[in-house]
Amino acid sequence: MDFSFIWLAFGQIISPQTIAYALAALGLTVCFGFTGLVNFGQAGFMAVGGYGFAITTVKFGWPLWASVLAAIVGAIIFAFILGIPTLRLRADYLSIVTIAAAEIVRYTVKTPQFVPVTGGTDGINGSSSTFDAINPIPVGHYGVGVLMYNQDDLWIIIVGWVLTLLCALLVSRLMRSPWGRIVKGIREDEDAVRALGKNVYWYKMQALMIGGTLAAIAAIINIIPTSLQPDNYGTQTTFFLFTIMLLGGATTIMGPIVGSIIFWIVLSLSDGLLSLAVTYHWLPITSVQQGPIRFVIVGVALILIVVFRPQGILGKKSEAYFSA
Amino acid sequence: MVKALRGNPVGIRLLLCILALLLAAGALALGSSSAARADTTPSPTPTASAAQETIQVWVRLASDKSAVAGVTVVVTGPKNFSQSFVTGADGKVLVGVPRIGDYKVKLDVSTLPDKTLKPAINPLDTPVARNDSGDPAYFLLVPGTASGSGGSGGSTASPSPGSGSSSGDSTNYFALVANLTANGIIFGLLLALASIGVSLIYGTTGLNNFAHGELVTFGALMGYVLSQVLHLPIFIAIIGAFVLGGAFGYLQDMALWKPLRKRGVGLIPLMIVSIGLSLALRYLYEFIFGSDQLILSSNNASALTLGPVHFKQTDLISIVVCVVLLLAVAFVLLRTRIGKATRAVSDNKALAAASGINVERIIRIVWAGSGALAGLAGVLIGYYQTLRWDTGASILLLVFAAVTLGGFGTAFGALVGALIIGLLVNLSTLIIPANLQNAAALLVMILILLVRPQGIFGKRERIG
Repeated sequence: MDFSFIWLAFGQIISPQTIAYALAALGLTVCFGFTGLVNFGQAGFMAVGGYGFAITTVKFGWPLWASVLAAIVGAIIFAFILGIPTLRLRADYLSIVTIAAAEIVRYTVKTPQFVPVTGGTDGINGSSSTFDAINPIPVGHYGVGVLMYNQDDLWIIIVGWVLTLLCALLVSRLMRSPWGRIVKGIREDEDAVRALGKNVYWYKMQALMIGGTLAAIAAIINIIPTSLQPDNYGTQTTFFLFTIMLLGGATTIMGPIVGSIIFWIVLSLSDGLLSLAVTYHWLPITSVQQGPIRFVIVGVALILIVVFRPQGILGKKSEAYFSA
Repeated sequence: MVKALRGNPVGIRLLLCILALLLAAGALALGSSSAARADTTPSPTPTASAAQETIQVWVRLASDKSAVAGVTVVVTGPKNFSQSFVTGADGKVLVGVPRIGDYKVKLDVSTLPDKTLKPAINPLDTPVARNDSGDPAYFLLVPGTASGSGGSGGSTASPSPGSGSSSGDSTNYFALVANLTANGIIFGLLLALASIGVSLIYGTTGLNNFAHGELVTFGALMGYVLSQVLHLPIFIAIIGAFVLGGAFGYLQDMALWKPLRKRGVGLIPLMIVSIGLSLALRYLYEFIFGSDQLILSSNNASALTLGPVHFKQTDLISIVVCVVLLLAVAFVLLRTRIGKATRAVSDNKALAAASGINVERIIRIVWAGSGALAGLAGVLIGYYQTLRWDTGASILLLVFAAVTLGGFGTAFGALVGALIIGLLVNLSTLIIPANLQNAAALLVMILILLVRPQGIFGKRERIG
């Protein structure tokens, strides 16, 4: 019996996917946990950032810094476009408009007419070239057992984690600053903040832009070791991010990071166990049926977290912003 | 807001109820699982050279999914590529193509063994991208001449029209517009059935139900089980989907939403719970029924012809059922005590409760009614096009768009909004690529929010 999946599951602790989801969930925390914006379009921000990076790198041949800048600017513009019609409205309108906008992005990049630019349903390959070109790590294989990484894998993992920790530090400083106190005030009582003479609309817009920027960086980290696939940025990605954020704690800085690690370990372990169960016929299911189970697990977990521990693993009950 | 976890009877009951609900849904459909498994999409046969792109052609009967052998298909593509192939005993033939590009797969109708059957769409457009193997070009043979009239072949949420827009012929263009308009009205009516539930639930409980799509899919799947697995007649399938959908809505409220309301969970957490429920249910459907298209077989012959527009028998049933049901909902809301009470609860819950209305009972009725309407919409959508485990989820955003357009919490707004969205989705294909049709509807919703955030019929104070 092959138990190597356990090692692979614990490899998720440092995998680029975990980093990307942690960063995107951190952005969601800024929007949802701290400012109280029900942003269901985080996958759309990721898609905008990912395409901004991949198109400028692969199709236009821009240098790394310019591509990263393009991704961030794209996400900020997207936040601006989304924010104008919705930030004055109630939370549920924002949720529907953001989820709709994310889907519009996904439909648009998949359009056959745009294949020369976006690659259609196939997405874009090879956006790691400029990033790998500045890799200082000597060629070789690093790691133990089944967890082997080549120099490029290791490079993105190191850069990704450094970036994530820097972003976490930045968000943490931001939330202790006057700006952070104002957005938390908006979350608790918008009218009170408005009565103090603050421009609530503009603060919400800034929060959405910061959240979107983090999502764009997350998307870059996600596509560099693999490739850009439009269907990876559907609504289910946003819901995964919500699960991760709520699991760790929606009003904490470390919550999204811890949540992402636990989330991917659990999914990876359950996939491995199910594969074993299918191979040895412990359960009356086929390998085709194995795929949907992880989503059922996520869905049920999301319900249970919201109902039984809305503050998440790390959150404080007193700050469990979670009631409307 | 959060009670202690341990020894909390509400919490434990909730957990048990969720499990029971999932089990019940599983048991209900278990009978169909073996049938559904039989027609899982085939994994393409691996070819010798990995770089070679291939198209998998598969010819089957729509009625019982049996393969049709010995049919000639002609594959044409870029750089004058044109070759004909004959399907094997399994109805399949794997076509290797020399380069990527857009291919057309045309079935030679004269080689069909049964001349009364025709493919629903012929020729099929098959784009081949780099490293694709087995890009599907699946023909389903249906009785009569359904070719080109749309409706029967759409694989996404709404039917894509026949590929006739390129011809400059004005009569053809008129026929296309007429067909798209008819499709738009039918699709709009079906959306309306699904939307009214969303609007009523929102009005009475404040919940933005992201799991409403799964109520729609549930109805469609129950219709599938009744008509295709148990071989009951079409009207029993429709009524069954309606009744079972209502029961599902009622059970959901009893098992999940009512306990959560009692705990005093806020509206945004409730919305996230509905997302979790949506994910869990949707993939449970996929687990049970497989990821393939399921087909509710119906008579595809034209039952009524109005100028260039052909209506199938099930199209007519859909129109009649939708109109009757929508009128019935209007009557109930406007003329009966329950309807008045529902509107009172939507308007002001506390005031309604104070004036002696049993709010919980109204909410239960609304959930059952919404589930029934959604189930009906689901089975009719199944007959209108095809159905899948994610049929409901794929129209959920269109339902939201319809409700937002009409104004949240207003049942009649939802009807008007749904018709607008239905027409928009279909007619937009005249000027934009077909895969952007849903995007166009969503974009219009966002633009409407800019100028009139409360929707067409909404009240100003509702927008907060």
